[in-house]
Amino acid sequence: MLRLENVAKAFGGVIATDDVSLAFAPGSLSAIIGPNGAGKTTIFNLISGKLRPDSGRILFDGENIAGLDETEIVRRGIGRAFQVASIFPSLTVEESLMAAVQSHRRQTLRMAERFRHSNARQRAGEIIDMTGLGAVARDLSANLSHGDQKLLDIALALALEPRLLLLDEPTAGMGPEERWQMIERVRALWQAEHMTLVFIEHDMDIVFEIAQSIRVLCYGAVLAEGTAEEIRANPDVIEAYLGAPAEDAEVAP
Amino acid sequence: MRRSGPIRDMIFGLGVFVLLALLYVLVDDAFVHDIIIKTCIFSIFALSLNLLIGYLGLVAFGHAAFFAAGAYVFGLFMQSEYVGPDSAWAIPFGVLLAMVGSAVLAAAIGAICIRAKAIYFSFLTLAFQMILYSAILAAVPITGGDQGLMGGFPKPVFLGIDLAEASHMYMFCAALAIIAALIMRQVVESPFGYVLRMLRDNPDRAAFLGLKVKLYQWITFVLAGTLASLAGVLQSLLDIGAFPEWAFWAKSAEPLFMILLGGMQTFLGPVLGAFIFEVLNAVVTAHTRYYGLVLGAVILFFALGLRRGLGDYIWQLVSDRREASGRADA
Amino acid sequence: MELAAFGECLTNSSCLIFQTVGGLKIGMLLFLVASGLTLIFGVLGVINFAHGSFYMLGAYFAYTTLAVTDSFTLAVIAGALGAGVVGILFERGFISRVYQSNVLVQLLVCYAFILILDDLVILIWGEEFLSSLGAPEVFRVPPLFVAGAVVPPFHLFLIGASIAVALGLWLIMARTRFGKIVRAAAQNPQMVSALGINTTLIYAGVFALGSLLAGLGGALAASERSISSGMGFSIVIESFIVTVIGGMGSIAGAFVAAILIGLARSFGAIGFPLFTDGLMFMVMCLVLILRPQGLFGRAES
Repeated sequence: MLRLENVAKAFGGVIATDDVSLAFAPGSLSAIIGPNGAGKTTIFNLISGKLRPDSGRILFDGENIAGLDETEIVRRGIGRAFQVASIFPSLTVEESLMAAVQSHRRQTLRMAERFRHSNARQRAGEIIDMTGLGAVARDLSANLSHGDQKLLDIALALALEPRLLLLDEPTAGMGPEERWQMIERVRALWQAEHMTLVFIEHDMDIVFEIAQSIRVLCYGAVLAEGTAEEIRANPDVIEAYLGAPAEDAEVAP
Repeated sequence: MRRSGPIRDMIFGLGVFVLLALLYVLVDDAFVHDIIIKTCIFSIFALSLNLLIGYLGLVAFGHAAFFAAGAYVFGLFMQSEYVGPDSAWAIPFGVLLAMVGSAVLAAAIGAICIRAKAIYFSFLTLAFQMILYSAILAAVPITGGDQGLMGGFPKPVFLGIDLAEASHMYMFCAALAIIAALIMRQVVESPFGYVLRMLRDNPDRAAFLGLKVKLYQWITFVLAGTLASLAGVLQSLLDIGAFPEWAFWAKSAEPLFMILLGGMQTFLGPVLGAFIFEVLNAVVTAHTRYYGLVLGAVILFFALGLRRGLGDYIWQLVSDRREASGRADA
Repeated sequence: MELAAFGECLTNSSCLIFQTVGGLKIGMLLFLVASGLTLIFGVLGVINFAHGSFYMLGAYFAYTTLAVTDSFTLAVIAGALGAGVVGILFERGFISRVYQSNVLVQLLVCYAFILILDDLVILIWGEEFLSSLGAPEVFRVPPLFVAGAVVPPFHLFLIGASIAVALGLWLIMARTRFGKIVRAAAQNPQMVSALGINTTLIYAGVFALGSLLAGLGGALAASERSISSGMGFSIVIESFIVTVIGGMGSIAGAFVAAILIGLARSFGAIGFPLFTDGLMFMVMCLVLILRPQGLFGRAES
């Protein structure tokens, strides 16, 4: 479904992504892990069109999408949510999602009808139920709790009905209990929507628990890939990465 | 059952028109009529600028370019050889011509300006406005240079409307201002209008929702410029001419001030701002030569004291009270 | 367009020299004002649209001081210092309250000040245009003749004095502790205040220095130009062009851009007198489109 071939990106002289090749199967649930500065978010930025690779190809459904702009890539079915929840503070949850649904349906150039009467409300309601934002649907996004803002960010991506969803640290900044709630919800969404899901995560317990396959990034290159067992047993990973206290992998390299 | 938004807005607009008409009949005072006409004209100007500033979050410094463009295109057309005292089609056609011409100008300027980021966008709009200002001053044979479009023009009667008649002019300005406001109200309450709010809040996220940010910014820029030109046309009709000061940068500061005065978060805030501005203008200039002193103090009060427009302030009070009573009920 | 006259001047050494000296004089006076604007923007991040009012105040203060003391030197000093003091009051009392607000509010506070100061000036000095101060006694001598061109010594003095100020400003910024702190504050205000340096004092100081430069420009310009309320309107927009072309916050950029604008004005007056302003704005547009950070500005990463 998605294949990166020899993708490289440097900022000035600093290599962020060095000849990365990765493939994700349709319907899979994969995690990308790696220490800070390993180039995980850069990979997402390259796939989603925020950055343009210096070289290499990014194939989505067999077509090279490298260098297309983000709106075009979203339209092809790749959605993303951000490490720091990226939302619209002055809109309510429901309004944000209605607008996102309208964008998906290409209704946003319409000036003659009323936003409030849009039939997107129904679909927005479904997404609200799906993500469990019902209690805060009428609240301003700015006033939501941290966790709900992260959820809203994911919900916005879902409104585009992506076939591939990229989640950048869905549990960032949450307490242990909240993390598990969040990740269970993400897994449920993945099952319900039949999409391909790739997420970046620091919490090893979470990664080993739910990811079908794991990619380990280090210094902009792929260090290892495989199932939880394989990664756990991989000597390179243990040395380069898990050698640090395994509880919290967020240790600088 | 609740009436749907557009119908409710139209009834409201009609109500305002009736009120303004009543005011004209009941208060037979040219001073008051003049304030209302100017408020109408500047409401269009300030509301159109607020599409960019309040809804889209783009601080345009050069909006008066389109006000002036509308006025000059209209004035030049009315002075042209094609228009005689009996050309019934002339004024409607002139209004249309001025708006189309300004739309083309806004399309060109907007296409360039929206490529610039943040503060550079503001500077570019200002620079384009000043180029227009310089061009108006330089093109003496056409525009009359610093003297402005002199010599007046005819106001042929159309559809029974005789704009040389004070009452007709008053009603005409009121009607056009209400229609323009209804159009803008519709736009900001449409799916398109919500995209504007999203682009103001978080353009990066909007792009990842598949929205072509620059396209929406450009369309809004053109729309705002076109409507601003309507204000210019009305001003030109009022003064029977056009003047280069209308293209000077200080003219762009006036609607900014009205927006600040009335509030940018409430749709009708700029209208309230235009009204306060015109009342201040009329009352203060009638009493003192030191108009700037008073106006400056008022601006400082709003900018440093109240820290928001009066419309937003009132709206905040109302919704706070509602919330409080809602809580008391629960 | 008077392109024939323009071409003729370019090939005629006396015209060339005369216009060049005139252009440099305009440019250097403009630099004094624009350097203050760009300095304030560079450190405080505020576009001081009221900057022209300090130029105006400088002229009025100089006028009164000259009338009282009959000393040109004192008049110029009073113009510069007076504007600097008003600048501190403006910064402390008003602008400092809107550092965190958006550019719109900052613009309007400045606009309010333009209106207020213009009226205050009329209240104090009256509505009539005041005649220019004239050159001081020492310079009331026959002009020099260079290759047939008339060059008034006073113009050379104005140019020289402005260059001296530019050099002094450069020395202050490059060599003194104040300059280092100011440059650091422009880069990273949190860092500077974390180091225990009083940013409030720095901001007020920079604003005072910026206003003082505007006042100095106004006082010197008043020796040649008539003085009136509203005289700040055109100078602020011109300084603004210089600041944008040179790069917001770059004093070296302002120096080069001011000379360019001065020469463009001087020669434009022969070639296309009516569209000189338009041309300047076109250059500003081009710079903003092609190199938004200005000729000497640092590109944002």
